[in-house]
Amino acid sequence: MTPLAATVRPRVNPYLSIDALDPEAELMLLHFGPQHPSTHGVFRMDLFLDGERIVKAVPHCGYLHRAVEKLCEKLAYVQLPPIVDKNDYVAPMTNEQALVMAFEAMLKLEVPRRARWMRALFAELQRVASHLLWLGTFSLDLGGALGGGSTVFIYCFRERELVLDLFEAVTGARFHYNTHSIGGNRHDLPAGWGAKVKAALDTIEARLPEYLAMTLHNHLFEQRTRGVGVLDGELALELGVTGPNLRASGVDHDLRRDAPFHAYDEVKVNVATARGGDCYARTEVRVAELVESLRLCRALLDGMPEGPINSGKPTKLPVQTKLPAGQQYVGIETPRGELGTWVIADGSQHPYRLKLRPPSLHALSALPYLLPGQTVSDAIAILGSLDPIMGEVDR
Amino acid sequence: MRHFLDAFRSIATAARSFARPPTTVQFPHEVRERAERYRASFALLHEADGDEACIGCLQCERICPSKVIAIKGPAKRDSPISGKKRSYADDFTLDLSACIFCELCVQVCPTDAIVMTREQEPPAYGREALVLTMAKLYENEKAKTRAWGDGTKLMEMQTPPKPPKPAPAGAPVAATSVASPSVGAAPAIEPTSAKPSEALGVASVGSTSAGAATSTSGPGPAPEAMASHAANSGAAALLNEPVTRTPVEPPEAAPLAAAPAGSPKVAAPQPGDEAGAAAPAGASPTKPEGGTP
Ligand code: SF4
Ligand code: SF4
Repeated sequence: MTPLAATVRPRVNPYLSIDALDPEAELMLLHFGPQHPSTHGVFRMDLFLDGERIVKAVPHCGYLHRAVEKLCEKLAYVQLPPIVDKNDYVAPMTNEQALVMAFEAMLKLEVPRRARWMRALFAELQRVASHLLWLGTFSLDLGGALGGGSTVFIYCFRERELVLDLFEAVTGARFHYNTHSIGGNRHDLPAGWGAKVKAALDTIEARLPEYLAMTLHNHLFEQRTRGVGVLDGELALELGVTGPNLRASGVDHDLRRDAPFHAYDEVKVNVATARGGDCYARTEVRVAELVESLRLCRALLDGMPEGPINSGKPTKLPVQTKLPAGQQYVGIETPRGELGTWVIADGSQHPYRLKLRPPSLHALSALPYLLPGQTVSDAIAILGSLDPIMGEVDR
Repeated sequence: MRHFLDAFRSIATAARSFARPPTTVQFPHEVRERAERYRASFALLHEADGDEACIGCLQCERICPSKVIAIKGPAKRDSPISGKKRSYADDFTLDLSACIFCELCVQVCPTDAIVMTREQEPPAYGREALVLTMAKLYENEKAKTRAWGDGTKLMEMQTPPKPPKPAPAGAPVAATSVASPSVGAAPAIEPTSAKPSEALGVASVGSTSAGAATSTSGPGPAPEAMASHAANSGAAALLNEPVTRTPVEPPEAAPLAAAPAGSPKVAAPQPGDEAGAAAPAGASPTKPEGGTP
């Protein structure tokens, strides 16, 4: 843990009342969102503007609230994996994994080695898909100046489809897979799938320089992102920001390495960090993770063990799985950071309480600190660079 | 100056795409091919003798997380085909508009009556059109291509094989793991690739126990349990070898191979099903013998 030492501006106090900031009430209040295309979902910010500069920002979330946690209390454990799929709808695989791992930990179930490797492989493929989508939408947020921001978007989307095709071949769904069950996985890898994965990975790797020419290695991109939205490591830790956003602020923290789950105790992860803490650093970290994930996918595929994929009983009845009374927290590293599931069980077939800890919510909580002093167009870049997925923020 | 250069470079990169074939298809006219397991809609199946396969056991209604299946029944009636008394679902509706396509209803069905299809329902103007009635579900049996999964196959894929007892029980186990190479590695290199992973498995026992101490969040399996698992898969790997497997197999596999799906356990449905899907692709997509007589 090496928080970014040098720091940029004095930390703003986002909780200062607007009357203190603006005694003459001359600021303009801009409602940003909730339906703005750059809000990545449904998200609203009240921006107090002095000309083009933001003086104070107040984020409001909750527009996408679907009462998932409450719904989980009504359903049986075996019915939950398809429900949580919908939280982080850009990385559904990791949602399911975080959930079933909590149940497995409560039941002290051993997950077969093949299932753990498959989960790691799915998680890495999902990371590739998720970071690709992020790179695309982020370029879109920055506007068309980069040889067409939408060019990068379409390119990334195209490559992401390759990964979704792979998931479709295994699970039968492109998005909401329901492929994890308590004790293992539901779908085994079909014959010949490995070759398809390798082909897709090769395609993505071969085309990566194209996106990078338009983003990281592009002077225009650099000018739009360098020094914009600098999040210092200490503040990030204070706010509970995790994942690439934290690593871009110079804090070397990755649950895949620090608390290995799945197959990460056998396949080592090289954690990428950057020291800038700005939008450029966040891009750098995500691109580095993308490359690392491609390598991990190949390693996981090559070492994929044989054997059973499930150690529990396959789902048959809602009453079949009852967790002993007690509680358990399990956090895993998703493409966006630490996704935690905290389950409190009372011995019945339903959870007594199920709390999800979405990484995006914590990333968004940095906004009031990052936005003051920036312009409106940078606000969009900063919001995009944090990679929030409103589905999991609001749940 | 650099701006212009970089902008020009971006445009040049983008221009390269002109030479590439298009990635999209003209949707209503062309439909891209769906994976074999693709889940899009539902069908109810008939037995081989033409009787309805659904026995109205309500298992699917109970497991459905969205509560979109409504079944009237079960009712005991004389079968019009065999004349024997058996139970039926009087009515069966599935509300597609709230279904989350989780495949749990397919998985729990004891008679493989409900399956998913690879073709979507067409878009509709009203919600009522998205309710699959019993008649529609039976119509889908013939009108749409079936997805791979049904209750038996999904269950078999997930059920861990019995711990290898001496010879007779061992043979199907070996068949399972052979049939699911899945990683696309050629069988020839399998023995070599199995060895490093075994070695890793053994090595991991130490690293897991070390990791477990520091990790609060990763619920690592108990080291000794992993060791035993490694041993198991080692045994399975030995059984994998085609030479040893062939003599053991015939008494076991012969009845299985005779079954229409042609599949001993887990992933073998793949080739069998492919052949099955290829043949009736044009005419009757579901069970070939599924029609009412
Ligand atoms: S696939 Fe649809 S109908 Fe079947 S259990 Fe899931 S939600 Fe219910
Ligand atoms: S479809 Fe299957 S699970 Fe559902 S009622 Fe009929 S037999 Fe039972």
